[in-house]
Amino acid sequence: MNADIIRRQWDVIVIGAGIGGGSMGRRLAERGLSVLFVEKGPFGHDTEEQYLSTTLEDPFARKIRGFWPKRVAATIDGREMSFFGAIGAGVGGTSSFYAATLERPERHDIDELEDRPHPTGGWPVSYDAYRPYYGLAEQMFEVCGEADPLSEEPDPGLRSPPPLAADDRDMTESFRRKGLNPYYVHMGVRFVPGCQLCFGHKCPRRCKLDGRTAGVEPAVRTGQAFVLDNCDVQAIRGTRDRVSHIEVIRHGERATLKARTYVLAGGGLGSPRLLLASKSPEWPNGFGNSNDLVGRNLMFHLTEMLAIWPASGSRSSGPSKALALRDFYFRNGMRFGALQAIGVDASYGMIVHYLNGLYDRSIFRRIRAGRELTRIPAFIAARMFGNAKIFAGIIEDLPYSENRMLLDPEDPERLRFHYSFAPELHHRRRQYRRIVKKALSGHRTAFLNMQPDLNLAHSCGTLRFGNDPATSVLDANCRVHGVRNLYVTDSSFMPTSTGINPSLTIAANAIRVADHIVALHKQRAPELIDG
Amino acid sequence: MIRPSTRTATSPETSLAVVTGASVGLGRALALEFSRRGVTVVGFGRNLADLETTASMAPGARIVPMQVDVGDADAVALAFQEIRETVGDPTILINNAAVHPRRDFLDETPHEFMACLAVNLGGTVNCSHAALKSMVRAGRGRIVNVGSFADLAPLPGAGAYSVSKGATRIFSRALVADLGDRFPDIVVTTWMPGILATRMGLPDGLDPAVAARWGVELALSNERELNGAVFDRDVQVLEPRSLKRRVVEKLLRRSAPQRRLDPPIHETPNDMAVQ
Repeated sequence: MNADIIRRQWDVIVIGAGIGGGSMGRRLAERGLSVLFVEKGPFGHDTEEQYLSTTLEDPFARKIRGFWPKRVAATIDGREMSFFGAIGAGVGGTSSFYAATLERPERHDIDELEDRPHPTGGWPVSYDAYRPYYGLAEQMFEVCGEADPLSEEPDPGLRSPPPLAADDRDMTESFRRKGLNPYYVHMGVRFVPGCQLCFGHKCPRRCKLDGRTAGVEPAVRTGQAFVLDNCDVQAIRGTRDRVSHIEVIRHGERATLKARTYVLAGGGLGSPRLLLASKSPEWPNGFGNSNDLVGRNLMFHLTEMLAIWPASGSRSSGPSKALALRDFYFRNGMRFGALQAIGVDASYGMIVHYLNGLYDRSIFRRIRAGRELTRIPAFIAARMFGNAKIFAGIIEDLPYSENRMLLDPEDPERLRFHYSFAPELHHRRRQYRRIVKKALSGHRTAFLNMQPDLNLAHSCGTLRFGNDPATSVLDANCRVHGVRNLYVTDSSFMPTSTGINPSLTIAANAIRVADHIVALHKQRAPELIDG
Repeated sequence: MIRPSTRTATSPETSLAVVTGASVGLGRALALEFSRRGVTVVGFGRNLADLETTASMAPGARIVPMQVDVGDADAVALAFQEIRETVGDPTILINNAAVHPRRDFLDETPHEFMACLAVNLGGTVNCSHAALKSMVRAGRGRIVNVGSFADLAPLPGAGAYSVSKGATRIFSRALVADLGDRFPDIVVTTWMPGILATRMGLPDGLDPAVAARWGVELALSNERELNGAVFDRDVQVLEPRSLKRRVVEKLLRRSAPQRRLDPPIHETPNDMAVQ
């Protein structure tokens, strides 16, 4: 390991180089702080374009490709399962593979409103206080798109998206005739010539803005930031009130790394796992885990996959990921979320992939030979859905204390969680499907998933922030309560999952926390005593 | 899951091909065929005089001779560095260089055996490794490994050669396993040119100039679907598939078409036969 990196006392060590760590590190580095990214996965090559595979088994091959190497273990509704989640591990993290949707949540996602009570009584930082940071994040990720016509908030003033394809224009018109309000989805994509709409796989052209291209790479270009890749953080060490160092292993070699401030951004599952694994006499239940809250309130979104055929006479112009609607975001007093095109037409391969994913989670999963059979319905679906657009509807998940990350007793490195579907979630899902179907009557539509489908890439809530240390892990600045120099800026901080992809919220919050850390460093605040 | 190509054939003007073993035989024919199709070529070989002869046979076209022992990894790395600095980034590599010693296994030393592997397999590994540096940076490139069927039925006294050629086929597969999903525009194929009328082949074998037309056509085809493909002369060899898969493919009408190389016709000079 590079001796200078080990010896150096960094201003900030950022654990995890995904969208939260990347935006944090870039903001810190651009404002003059020295930053070391410690990343579990590889730096990789910026011309790679692999899909995030949930079937490739070999952990070595997975790691090289930037996928989380090991299977995730879970108890879901009491059933033991093990699978590869859509989780990245490498520079860019899961965002290297994401669909680049970067949208603001709704006001009721964050604030307690009179007619829309908030499940936790509201976040400790208000929607209005977040607004400038959403703007900064939209600049950092070069977000383009149109304002949601239903929104009462000020127009975010985004870059202009490319023109709509003919079939999307037709679909927009027919949606409007149904009284719906489609708009151009907000995306961090430059649409360079030859743009392949790299959704689900890495972008080889630096066209998609993600934790790597908008975060880590610009941070490194400042000369202030360095990346230690393939580096596993074993434990966070320190006293009751401060972190003294982190213990790492890189290529079989152990080392300790030191900084004035530490930022944990290992993801909604990875960050609580590391804290739980960092046991010591001072922290017998894991670092920062005074009240047994670390890992609790785990949330995912439910994804409802919906095929929508264009109104008759309209021909497909090819895959596009342009249309979004917030008409079903909040209905009949219930929290749902956004409905967005996912950027693929219903092709044969995609449906096979999707049905295989369903199959792996079904009760038939032990009969491997049956997996081939999914090709037959997929073939029929391809014929039927030939020119359908696939939309994904997000249904907000709510925090429940018993849904949680756990330390795996046999392998502390494994991601293990416990999750039960709340009856109210099943109820909301049924309502959602009914409402959407009805609103789109006139279009031929079909929901593609029978069972509720947890979106593992959207895990959040496991280290929630709040004003009361008895009910939250982090304070309003996302600092671990009572610990002077440890912050968390991935999706773990979110007290609720919101109705939209968490990426922009993670980035906006990371920038906000970065500015707080920069201010402390500029003031030479007393909590920054050298290690 | 690999998406289909978004681009078609490489344009010769922007290509730079490295052909190993370009001093004689098939390598010389490949270099000349590339230059005929407007592609700049760097020819590797151990004998500079022979390489210069190759270059002189293509007046007006650009064949850059470079004296390199492909079995020497460091020398190969330096040579590629020099190409990048003086000519440009190689976009095509044909691993053609090979030796074909005839020795009874009881008479040859293990050192001699391994020396053959060092050139035939080692050369392919060394050149691929060096070429991939800039191909990965660009996210695209083309590697053709010249194979043979010698491994299926080794001739007596050709053990090292047979092993090296079998290993070359496996090396292509291993490269695709490592790179195929990450860099689908770096296309690796194995090509069996057939028995040629060269020093290494038989007097009544195929004219190397004819084989070279296929080899160059294959090297200039860079569709993603060709990644991992094996060609026997001008025809793709399809992988044996299980009955179940064939039935499923039949049902879904998804069976991959067998590719045939169809290079443009031009006058073949007849001085390319046995030399």
